[in-house]
Amino acid sequence: MFSYVLRRIGVGAGLVLLVLTLIFLALHLVPGDPAMLLLSQGDGASVTPEAVARVRTQLGLDEPLLTQYWQFLSGALTGDLGESFRNQQAVSEAIGERLPRTLELVGLATLIAVVVGVPWGALAARKGGWFDSLTSVLTSIGVALPVFVFGSVLILVFALNLGWLPAGGFAEWGEDPGRHAQVLVLPAIALAVGFASTVARMTRSAVLEMLHQDWVRTARSLGLSRRAVFRRYVLRNSLTPVVTTVGIGVGTLLGSTVLVERVFNYPGLSSLLVEAVTARDYPVVQGIVITIAVLFVSINILVDVLYGVLDPRVRR
Amino acid sequence: MRTSTTTRLRAAARPRVAALTAAAVASLTLAACGGGSSSASESTLRFGLSAEPVTLTTGVWQGSATNFVLTLVHRGLMTLDESGELVPGLAESVETPDPTTYVFTLHEGLTFSDGSPLTAQNVKSSLEYYADPESGSTLIAGLQDIAEITADSDTQVTITLAAPNNAFLEYLAVPTAAIVPDASLNADTPNNVGAGPFVLEDSQAGVGMTLAKFDDYYDAEDVALEEIDVSYYADGDARANALVSGDVDMIDYVTWENFDRVGDTDGVELAAQPGPFQYVQFNTVEGPFADPLVREAVAHAINRDNALTAAFQSNGEPLYGVVMPEDPALEGVGDDLWSYDPDRAKELLAEAGYPDGFSATLLATSQYTFLQDTALSVQQDLQAIGIDVTLDAPDWSGRLEKGAAGDYDLAVSGDVGIVTNPSYLLGHVQGPDNFNRSFGYQNPEIAAALTDGLRATDDAARVAAYEEAFSIFATDVPFATIDTRDQAWAHSDDVEGFANLPGFHTFFSGYTLANTSIER
Repeated sequence: MFSYVLRRIGVGAGLVLLVLTLIFLALHLVPGDPAMLLLSQGDGASVTPEAVARVRTQLGLDEPLLTQYWQFLSGALTGDLGESFRNQQAVSEAIGERLPRTLELVGLATLIAVVVGVPWGALAARKGGWFDSLTSVLTSIGVALPVFVFGSVLILVFALNLGWLPAGGFAEWGEDPGRHAQVLVLPAIALAVGFASTVARMTRSAVLEMLHQDWVRTARSLGLSRRAVFRRYVLRNSLTPVVTTVGIGVGTLLGSTVLVERVFNYPGLSSLLVEAVTARDYPVVQGIVITIAVLFVSINILVDVLYGVLDPRVRR
Repeated sequence: MRTSTTTRLRAAARPRVAALTAAAVASLTLAACGGGSSSASESTLRFGLSAEPVTLTTGVWQGSATNFVLTLVHRGLMTLDESGELVPGLAESVETPDPTTYVFTLHEGLTFSDGSPLTAQNVKSSLEYYADPESGSTLIAGLQDIAEITADSDTQVTITLAAPNNAFLEYLAVPTAAIVPDASLNADTPNNVGAGPFVLEDSQAGVGMTLAKFDDYYDAEDVALEEIDVSYYADGDARANALVSGDVDMIDYVTWENFDRVGDTDGVELAAQPGPFQYVQFNTVEGPFADPLVREAVAHAINRDNALTAAFQSNGEPLYGVVMPEDPALEGVGDDLWSYDPDRAKELLAEAGYPDGFSATLLATSQYTFLQDTALSVQQDLQAIGIDVTLDAPDWSGRLEKGAAGDYDLAVSGDVGIVTNPSYLLGHVQGPDNFNRSFGYQNPEIAAALTDGLRATDDAARVAAYEEAFSIFATDVPFATIDTRDQAWAHSDDVEGFANLPGFHTFFSGYTLANTSIER
């Protein structure tokens, strides 16, 4: 088990390094000059070439590409991700501010998805009949529903019509805990719907598969009640694929909360990434991609370890 | 053995479930007890801004979000009142004993927000910095006529121009022309210290900023707002939602598809004014558009009403000439250079040697829907006269690069003048290339006539100069205009005193927040 984990970490580190190089190259290959963008934001009064040249020097963009790569790589390895072209904020600080917000959102959405999805899927598998059919229909809709559509509907109903919750925005926990919680509710629900549907479907099919195993019949014949077999053995054995789904789902959510963050104007990590890409804010893009890559790889390692906890056979 | 493991697991699971339930209940309770809107006090304006301002660089034009902050934190010698009229700002009065001499008398006791005094010497060093080509300032061209600036006393400055310039005072009202401490006159010091009505108090990257009233502002007794609480809303729908739901009191840049929804909401007022103009720019170095006849054909081929509907739901005006300032003396000058006449366009093409048309690339951008929609409309119009147009729509960054390098045949663009004076057109007919002017286009005759207009000291001479400029403009077509778009701000009915300034000045409307109040 220990050497297995070590090996996984080694592969993970190699992956992160690869991502790091690819993102650097991709960014510099894509057309677009950060200096010019900084000076021409939408309504474009003409930019002087002198101003552009000065900003390029200021940002270090006039250095040869290899020098820039080396600076980026050595910086990244020592934890220095540089500073934003746009507001000179240290990238690590920006990520430090944004990541917890996205994690909080993703965490809450995952909590809702698991708390709703697992029992729902298990119940559908166990009950069968109309409840199962209804589950299939609802979860299909849940998976297919684009998050920005559902998010917009939530805003329309709960913010604009009923006025129960804010239409979006953000407040620090330390400044206004009430509002902090309020602004989280709708985006978390919007994000959780698709995720909960996936979890429910996965749980349902895993449970169905388990229910047909020989040992289920054996356990019943040994005198255990249907309920006891289900709760003690079937559900637990069904959770392995569900954990994988949740793990991958969380990783994907980390990079794809962007639509929700946009619709609800939630200043998380994904929206910063998109803003940074459009502004060609290289250090910020690189920093966030590395962070997401590290997180994704770590979650996958964690999921593998969790297998061991849920399924003792893996530990051997 | 197995049973005991299960029991242990179940025992451990129960409190976890209980904890989760408790957390969920707690968060819902918190959510329910707070009510809909954030803390809203009598004298705090909650503002939803369409973009996060970048670090302020002295003298440099960095877009409308940054200009908004400049109008709050800074003041120049001149400013704009609520009807968009030019009025003295830090200057208490300005006298012009002759057309090349301006004597500014500053308000008594002016101070910067860092506590240091603002004197005539600061005026001199700030303006000299803005006129210096090395500074990369917006005003290099506008202030090029300055021959000498003398600080006569602590509160009096005399500026002598090399030649008369009837846009000079207007340039001094541009937000980037603010008077700043000498320490800010470089590219590295953030331009945060000013003598405007508000002080930048706090800034949270990606979230918002707080501005507080500056008590030593020269007109502080008329500033009603104690605080402006700015939140960033990059998405147009999210911004409109925030206003309609009462999360904020005011927003800038209402997107056109939200005009009706915002305008029809009870308790909300939409303030729209014609603002920037859209146009087709050309590659005049190579390809068919190097020929003025072909450019003129395009100017006659564009169905401006269609473009306006496609891009702005008709919120704007078709433009058959150039945007001119609101000035009775210039009434009718330059506004009627072309008409929508596809037959005339085909004739011009034939005359240029393209009776069967040709193929061309039209550069637009996928990032600004209104420019892409305008491009689609133009593409259709050109198709109709035989020009087979391929659309190239990279993101804004790619658009800038291709535009600056001349990597297009035609392109659609939107622009404003930094001043309403027709001298804003000079950059389109002379000087270096950039992304939003026709590539390689130089016309010394138009430039000379526009400059004559700028130097004219009486109305007759001005009108004559501009008539001359636009007669060449009509057939040489430095660019072909399409329309002006309405630019809207919106606010709750509780907000009083704000004005969306007309024309290009719409982006400087933040000036009027100095005289805005809020009654809840």
